[in-house]
Amino acid sequence: MSESKPPIKTFGEALLEVGMENPNVVAISADSSSGSGLGPFKERFPERHLEFGIMEQGVIGYAAGLATTGKVPFVAAIAPFVTARPFEMFRNDLGYMRQNVKVVGRCAGLTYSTLGATHQSLDDVAIIRTIPGVVILNPGDPVEIKKATHAMAAHIGPVYMKIGSPDMPILHGEDYHFEIGKGVEMKPGSDITLIGTGTVLQRAFEAAEILAKKGIHARLIDIHTIKPLDREIVLKAARETGRIVTVEEHYLCGGLGGAVAELLAREHPTPVKMIGVDDQYASNGPYEELLGLYGLLAPQIAETVKTFLRG
Amino acid sequence: MRNITAEEEMHLKRMALQIRKGVIRQIRAGIMGHVGGALSIAEILSCLYFKLMKVDPGDPSRRERDRFVLSAGHKCLALYAALAEKGFFDAAVLDTYGSLGSKLPGHPDMHKLPGIESNTGALGHGLSIAGGMALGLKMDGLDSKVYVIMGDGELAEGSNWEAASAASHHKLDNLLIFVDRNTLQISGRTVEVNSYEPLDKRWEAFGWSAREIDGHDVRQIVEHASAAPFEKGKPSVIIANTVKSKGLSFAEDKVNYHYWKATHEELAKADGEMAEAERRIGG
Repeated sequence: MSESKPPIKTFGEALLEVGMENPNVVAISADSSSGSGLGPFKERFPERHLEFGIMEQGVIGYAAGLATTGKVPFVAAIAPFVTARPFEMFRNDLGYMRQNVKVVGRCAGLTYSTLGATHQSLDDVAIIRTIPGVVILNPGDPVEIKKATHAMAAHIGPVYMKIGSPDMPILHGEDYHFEIGKGVEMKPGSDITLIGTGTVLQRAFEAAEILAKKGIHARLIDIHTIKPLDREIVLKAARETGRIVTVEEHYLCGGLGGAVAELLAREHPTPVKMIGVDDQYASNGPYEELLGLYGLLAPQIAETVKTFLRG
Repeated sequence: MRNITAEEEMHLKRMALQIRKGVIRQIRAGIMGHVGGALSIAEILSCLYFKLMKVDPGDPSRRERDRFVLSAGHKCLALYAALAEKGFFDAAVLDTYGSLGSKLPGHPDMHKLPGIESNTGALGHGLSIAGGMALGLKMDGLDSKVYVIMGDGELAEGSNWEAASAASHHKLDNLLIFVDRNTLQISGRTVEVNSYEPLDKRWEAFGWSAREIDGHDVRQIVEHASAAPFEKGKPSVIIANTVKSKGLSFAEDKVNYHYWKATHEELAKADGEMAEAERRIGG
């Protein structure tokens, strides 16, 4: 985990690539084009960049209408403003109408740490997950962000992808195969399973390494697609390791942990420990300190796992 | 401006009546439904589908077609009737309204029937969707137009004004809205509930070119709609003054016929009034 890259810039570079491959791809911004990584696309394809100003409800409808004419709109803005704010437009105009629109929520989770609860996004997965037919991607390193951007462009149908803001370490090799809906076993192990996603995949990764040094062999699974959830990899882990710990920068309600728990409750009841933010408006401050406040730093995750194993 | 012949005028009136009869037919099947707004847009839909719009029931997805978005999705009984009359699907489908899994939900679903362009019903969505269509068509260099019907009560949804502003900013002069100003909404007169008057000034302030007509006069509808864009580079809006539940004497301009739970007596009366209208139009 030596090299790190900025997630938004990485997305922007990948968007430029998909724009070069597919002339129907258009980029839509609601005032924050460069902040959302659209700079390179805008510079290369000015006629395919559409600026709407600060109107996130209308932008989703416009994107749906554009998609009916064969365009592949990528809408990128701050995560809560493309999920919570225009939720009904997302549900009806993208979900119910099954339009081929890609929504990218940036600075998701706690990564807009100092700006406070209005700008953090801890509920985006929970609310978008209720919409039938929408794919939810939460890539865990820059390699996944790039591959996820290509995959969502190729996928026909509405997709929501969330990305953070601080630099992310590279966890996957460039030859890594990314497939929507397929989780990845990053470390083998049979004592317990850690499932990480998105911005805190690296924390789960480091926690598994801490545990390994103490003789606890945690299987590590990267779930970059929260919907559709890779049922097989989760059920297999439940059968083979008996306990599951989920790690996400999201509310405990309705996110990765919720999705895993729903699956296991129905198909293979298994003890699950969910790590994330409980029912509250998160605090504000330096990002690392916020992660620490909610038990999302690697040593804390390792400690939670040990306690869970003893219980 | 395009003038129409007396024969065309007669035909468009007849099609409006067919739409009204189709609305009553669905209400009879489903016992209840949004009748008031469906009947107030019958002439506008008649002119759109039987005179103004490039649409082909044999090839409903043709790229070069004109688009219609019923932003006030609850008026869909009239849209279903117009599409059936135009030949997009068998009129017998109208008799399924209200039944389990019918292709005619109380707000339209584009995946259930050909000819429906968007899933509207939640108010304040249609104009953004239509704007996106208009923008996409322009980007592709197509001369297709996008037509929208909005309700006057619907204008209180703030999302409309986001959409209106963006349409003007992006110079979507291939976009034409009809505001069905029947002056009523569920709880009373629109001007008393939350007035958006003067409508023409509101739209003009958002960069649109506005005209006002009698929304039941097919001659005025065709003449003005075919003159759009009223100003090059600007989206156009026609404020169509209409009467809610037009054509049903006992329901006209009455607030409690927004959604109608029909009695047998009322349905019989409605049939009589449709037959009488047919005699009046003749042909």
